[in-house]
Amino acid sequence: MKGFPRYFPIIVALCVLAFMGSAIGRSFNAGDRARGISLEEIERIPVSAGGRTKPLDTFARNTLVRLSGRQTYEVDGVRRPAAEWILEAWADPSASATRQVFRIDHPDVKSIIGVTDTSRTRFSWKEMEPKLDEIVRQAELAQQIGRKQQDPFQRAVSDLYGKLAEYAEIRALRTPYVVAPLAAGEEWAPLVAPDPTERGKTRISDTESARLFQAILVTYSTGDTVGCEKAIAAYSARLNASLAPDMQKGAFEVVFSRLEPFYQASTLYMLAFLLGCLGLLAAPISPERWKPSFFRAAVAVIAVAFAIQTFGLVARVYLQGRPPVTNLYSSAVFIGWACVPLALLGEWFSRVGILSIAASFIGFATLIVAHNLSASGDTMEMMQAVLDTNFWLATHVVIVTIGYSATFLAGFIAIFYVVGGACTRLLAGDAMKALPKMIYGVICFAALASFVGTVLGGIWADQSWGRFWGWDPKENGAAMIVAWNLIILHARWGGMIRERGVAALAIAGNVITAWSWFGTNMLGVGLHSYGFMDSAVFVLTAFCVSQLLLMAVAFIPTAKWKSLQTA
Amino acid sequence: MNALLALMKPLASLKLTVVLLSLSIFLILAGTVAQVDQGVWLVVDSYFRSIYVAIPFQIFVPRKVAEVPGILPFPGGLTLGVLLFFNLLAAHLVRFKLSWKRAGMITTHAGVLLLLVGEFVTGAFAKEGNMTIAEGESTNYIEDTRSCELAVIDASDAKEDLVIVVPGRILADSAGSDVSGGELPFTARILEWMPNSRLLGPMQASPAQLARATTGFGTQVAAVPVAVASGVDGAGIDAPAAYVELRSGETSLGIYLFTTQLRTVQSVDVGGKRYDIALRYERRYRPYSVKLIDFRHDRFVGTEVARNFSSLVRLSDPAQNVDREVLISMNNPLRYAGETFYQASFAPDDSGTVLQVVRNPGWLLPYISCTMVTVGLLWHFGTHMAASFRRKLA
Repeated sequence: MKGFPRYFPIIVALCVLAFMGSAIGRSFNAGDRARGISLEEIERIPVSAGGRTKPLDTFARNTLVRLSGRQTYEVDGVRRPAAEWILEAWADPSASATRQVFRIDHPDVKSIIGVTDTSRTRFSWKEMEPKLDEIVRQAELAQQIGRKQQDPFQRAVSDLYGKLAEYAEIRALRTPYVVAPLAAGEEWAPLVAPDPTERGKTRISDTESARLFQAILVTYSTGDTVGCEKAIAAYSARLNASLAPDMQKGAFEVVFSRLEPFYQASTLYMLAFLLGCLGLLAAPISPERWKPSFFRAAVAVIAVAFAIQTFGLVARVYLQGRPPVTNLYSSAVFIGWACVPLALLGEWFSRVGILSIAASFIGFATLIVAHNLSASGDTMEMMQAVLDTNFWLATHVVIVTIGYSATFLAGFIAIFYVVGGACTRLLAGDAMKALPKMIYGVICFAALASFVGTVLGGIWADQSWGRFWGWDPKENGAAMIVAWNLIILHARWGGMIRERGVAALAIAGNVITAWSWFGTNMLGVGLHSYGFMDSAVFVLTAFCVSQLLLMAVAFIPTAKWKSLQTA
Repeated sequence: MNALLALMKPLASLKLTVVLLSLSIFLILAGTVAQVDQGVWLVVDSYFRSIYVAIPFQIFVPRKVAEVPGILPFPGGLTLGVLLFFNLLAAHLVRFKLSWKRAGMITTHAGVLLLLVGEFVTGAFAKEGNMTIAEGESTNYIEDTRSCELAVIDASDAKEDLVIVVPGRILADSAGSDVSGGELPFTARILEWMPNSRLLGPMQASPAQLARATTGFGTQVAAVPVAVASGVDGAGIDAPAAYVELRSGETSLGIYLFTTQLRTVQSVDVGGKRYDIALRYERRYRPYSVKLIDFRHDRFVGTEVARNFSSLVRLSDPAQNVDREVLISMNNPLRYAGETFYQASFAPDDSGTVLQVVRNPGWLLPYISCTMVTVGLLWHFGTHMAASFRRKLA
């Protein structure tokens, strides 16, 4: 490899690093201002919601994501930060009511609020105000039947009602809890709460923290720039004196939210995927120069993406004080993260290049899944008492998730092997020998991790409620993955299947893993279920069908496989 | 010896392993989707701990989409488990050869055998129940919330109560007919039996519903049947109820509503003698008692999400000279007299605690098995992996 192809990977790596460097730089100081006031310090002010202390910025972002599906909102076509939106809701409710932040997709719900323009998806409080009674009536009708029985319209209108109620709670300062416990014996409290002595009346908190917080809001709403900055500085100083650890974590969390490490990683994985594909395409044209050059560039980009994803995971562990996998969202992030080094290890063994494509594809796909799972709000929510043990989260959950990762990885390598081998000439030569070995190796690892992880889960269950195995849907899903990996291994050892058969069964493993990961949650419920998902049913079904079709490709007789034909 | 070997050869086949594992996967899948409609324990008994199971095709198709008749006859979990056990055992007996290379696989498979034995022991011998204790009170029995009984209590002896119990399944089987005989002082005509029910208060129930019972609390509240708690709804507990007419000879003593949801006992007068009657979960009495001193239920600030539950109890067993305080909390059970007490749930308004009480003689087996399999697999794959690395680096 000589000339430009030799330096190409280095150039790509440097560009990516420079790009990331600037993203990191920006996240330390975004320089956002609202009404002439820097948002930097106000975004870090801690509040409490969902049982967790978090910076105001995080609360505002999560709320906007729930209401509108975005972390920002628009003022006259310009994107503005979430913190400004929440300050406006408190300081200038009439302007806030005109912001189009309520996402509505269902056409019948749109027609209830009298909108005929079906292309619009975001609406303001003011637009809906005249129809509030009707929305409430429809939502109450829908809520009389269980969530499972509701039709899509009923669900959509219930969701809208929930969003409007949430906004009303925020505007009235009942949520989040903004009054911080500065003195001993105090607890997080809302600024405005029902008056315990008089029904129907509310009472404004009168603690030191409440007064300092109110001063910020008052000066902000009157446009007193100097006074507001003073008030922010005064409150921050007071918080730093009493709640230093929360303030430190909060400041870091603001940087973390701005950096969006998982989003950055997903774009890089996409880039690596494209570079890998270019490497494959270059294989017949320039097998000695451009092919290895593109593959190296892909690996370099994956390495940067992996570093950022690792930073994101470690940051979450620090912020939450929990092992990395605590809910479905974090399991998606973690599955991709665990696959990448496994695939790169395989790449190191085989040097076929294609594993870097698999690694970047899984990295990208799982982060997309994670992104879609984050729509329900705070991804660092507090955990139910029984799950609240770092030891078992760190052992059972992490190991079983690694087992899922490996099963997926084997399945995806198998897809590349089957499709690339049968339908293209791109894998002719070493790759056709190396890939089946990789699939087999990864399945061995998957069998080990999923078995150990599942049994550890049983031991946790025995510790918590005295039942090693309860046959609940999630446990059954894990058992199915274990059994599937064992079938592949035993069928291969018994000579019942060879390269093609292992690959076909590994692809079917994707279906079983997807079922255990998501399908069991869709059944409804149980101790392990993480939340209700509607549209996901469709996505899951489509995924399973696609995998079965890919499996069918494996049944093309080897004589017809293009990569196995001698040219 | 050769005959035995000839017999074992086919049993030791890897093909059989693959077939059995495939059948197991399908059974597990069926047993999972069946839980959409059925309670988890019913599924465990009919799918996973049975010799044979008739799987209705309907479970794979939502009722909303189509009504599908027919069943698929299938081997139950017990059959598959036993076959896998012998398949594995035979495989190792036929091909047994001790070497460092095979040590990993032998250890692993021995661990798997132990796991199968453990699940069998659990299925056959483990007993689970609940202990519900109100704050400040003590309890000396364990309730099995999966079955109920109609208890008829003769409290005329000042020292000891005489209790006659009719198991719930007899009541269920006798729906529409009479239960009598034995030491039962009356005939019970089961007018309606509900495996799971919901109570309607005086304001919710219609006059017709309240008129179904002629005496007792059934004139104030009514019960209506609801679907049994399904496996995917979480570990729901069924609350059976029944409308029962008590008769002495030809005379009616009144129509009663009995339900496990109300702990109030109702009484009936039979020939001048008073009996207390209650439908309650099956009880198993213990020689020791547990008194709840304090129940704590902490929530995350501003939410209803439980942060922690704990029960401070006093355990007294006079015969064993035991009288001590214990704190039971999530993930911190109490083990005593072969039984383990777990913090499971709590009474409404946090007025008491619900402890899950488990006796499982096989509880230690999975721990040993897990260790063996892990060590075995690490050894096996580790040596192979190390060899690959050596080749690669050489």
